[in-house]
Amino acid sequence: MTVKKITKADFTDLIEKVIASQKVYAPQAKGDKYDFAPLTSAGDMKLDYDVTLQPPKKYFIPPVETLLTFEVGGGYQSQFDEEKFVLLGVHPYDMVAINQIDKLFSDGHFDNHYMNRRTNATIIALDVVNASKNVFASEIGTATVKQGYDLLLTDIGDAYIAEAATEKGAALLAGANAADATDDDLAKKQKVQSDNELSLSKHLLKCPASDLPKLLEKAYDHPVWEEQAETCFACGSCNQVCPTCYCFNVQDDVNWDMKTGERKRAWDGCMLDGFTKCAPDHEFRKNRADRFRHRLFRKGKYVPYKLGGEIACVGCGRCVGACLPDIANPVNVYNRLFDDLGNG
Amino acid sequence: MSKPRVAIFDFACCEGCQLQIVNLEEELLNLIDVVDVVEWREAMSEQSHEYDIAIIEGSITREEDAKRLEIIRSRAKILIALGACATMGGVNKLKNNFDLNEVKECVYGDDASMPHLDTAMTKGVDEVVEVDAMIHGCPIDRKEFTYIIRSLLMGKKPEIPEWPVCVECKAKGNPCLWEYDQVCLGPVIRAGCDARCPSNGFRCFGCRGYVDNPNINAAKDVIDKYGLTVEDLKEKMILFGSTKGPTNE
Repeated sequence: MTVKKITKADFTDLIEKVIASQKVYAPQAKGDKYDFAPLTSAGDMKLDYDVTLQPPKKYFIPPVETLLTFEVGGGYQSQFDEEKFVLLGVHPYDMVAINQIDKLFSDGHFDNHYMNRRTNATIIALDVVNASKNVFASEIGTATVKQGYDLLLTDIGDAYIAEAATEKGAALLAGANAADATDDDLAKKQKVQSDNELSLSKHLLKCPASDLPKLLEKAYDHPVWEEQAETCFACGSCNQVCPTCYCFNVQDDVNWDMKTGERKRAWDGCMLDGFTKCAPDHEFRKNRADRFRHRLFRKGKYVPYKLGGEIACVGCGRCVGACLPDIANPVNVYNRLFDDLGNG
Repeated sequence: MSKPRVAIFDFACCEGCQLQIVNLEEELLNLIDVVDVVEWREAMSEQSHEYDIAIIEGSITREEDAKRLEIIRSRAKILIALGACATMGGVNKLKNNFDLNEVKECVYGDDASMPHLDTAMTKGVDEVVEVDAMIHGCPIDRKEFTYIIRSLLMGKKPEIPEWPVCVECKAKGNPCLWEYDQVCLGPVIRAGCDARCPSNGFRCFGCRGYVDNPNINAAKDVIDKYGLTVEDLKEKMILFGSTKGPTNE
């Protein structure tokens, strides 16, 4: 494992070089907010961003993708993205989310479309510089991250400490004008990380995150689901901005020749009307309250069960800001349940 | 197998949705490869009483239009409502909020009493006859139009979103326009437009109509949060959201 210190100017030069040979996606300004977008000039990257509108998930699970082309009554051809790319500036909580989806999309059914993109990606993670107004990663334990990335950057003021975790990361770093990190540099990096482990906590969870699956076991019939869902638009904004939501719908469309066509996969969301509609037009989770509960059970109980206990909310806080009626905040709901059921 | 015969008819509207079909340009050749267009006033001179699929554009505002629509319905196996005027009455329904005589005089002046201007409350096509498929929007989205036509020709039910515009808007990474003081109707309006207006900085005007299950309580909460009144919201909703009679809810 290589750990280097690289000045911000030298890092910009490095990325400028990388852009010349590979596609790079990085956080950039979008009005007064930030979002990941293709980087055309290294000067446009905003590595002190607080949070992006969309998580970087979209580079692995695009909002809409073609899975295969087919011939009606004939064969099919799977479609894969082969382009290599660099994903730069991924905050730890988003990296944790990617690590989780890696497990979910490779255990059991191995999703080639997703895993192909993962293999093609070089991920440069980045410790948080400025906390967003709704982040609660410290509460979940996702304020820092130990794995999944190829390179991890930590801003120590005048420079970045860059830790290469893979050969891909080391090769990328080898192209930079950088010095070996000193003990003093590593201490500064450690300070940034230990600060973040406490300070990314704009919403305080009243119980340890690891207790959530147990808490939810008692909460299925709690009135909070009906109460909160009373003002839920079922607009799925919470799903659409979530780094760990991965549900999708698959649809076919034929071409004008009526013989060939495409099978597409698109993001879906458990909060949406019609999400559970199946043949023959039967909808088994029709009530908003049931769907509201389902979302928080997915994050706090069902998916953790698949992940060996890891909570499937990473505390990015995006859903808190995206929800117009202010009901999406998982911390508020879990705290309410803890108050009522925590000690019972 | 012979190609299905398609006829396109217009009622009270600006005919902009038909224009979107004309605007398919070279894709129009693909369309007429799979269907026989037998009547389409905006694009051809021929007429026919024999067709399998009738595409209806515009709202119904006069008794004679309702009768004409009923005859079309009786001749067609499939009837499709094209665009906001047809699917829900559209902008034309604004007049239902006023005294009809006043509206007529305001619009037609001295000619208001002429017999062909004898209009009643505006109705969407489904308020007069049974509709098999709706193509929403003002104007319609060309991609959605061709998708629906192909689906119907394959004997498949087209998937029209039941969820609101926010879904597509958030997927595109747009910041919420409510945060920028715009009274966007996205949370209650049917998606399928790829959030075109909000993606270009304009609030959703509601041209695709309400989702099947809009949450009025949530809307009330949100207008309180932003210091608005029900009247403020109604003012924005009335353009496409007018009801059969005066808009009261």
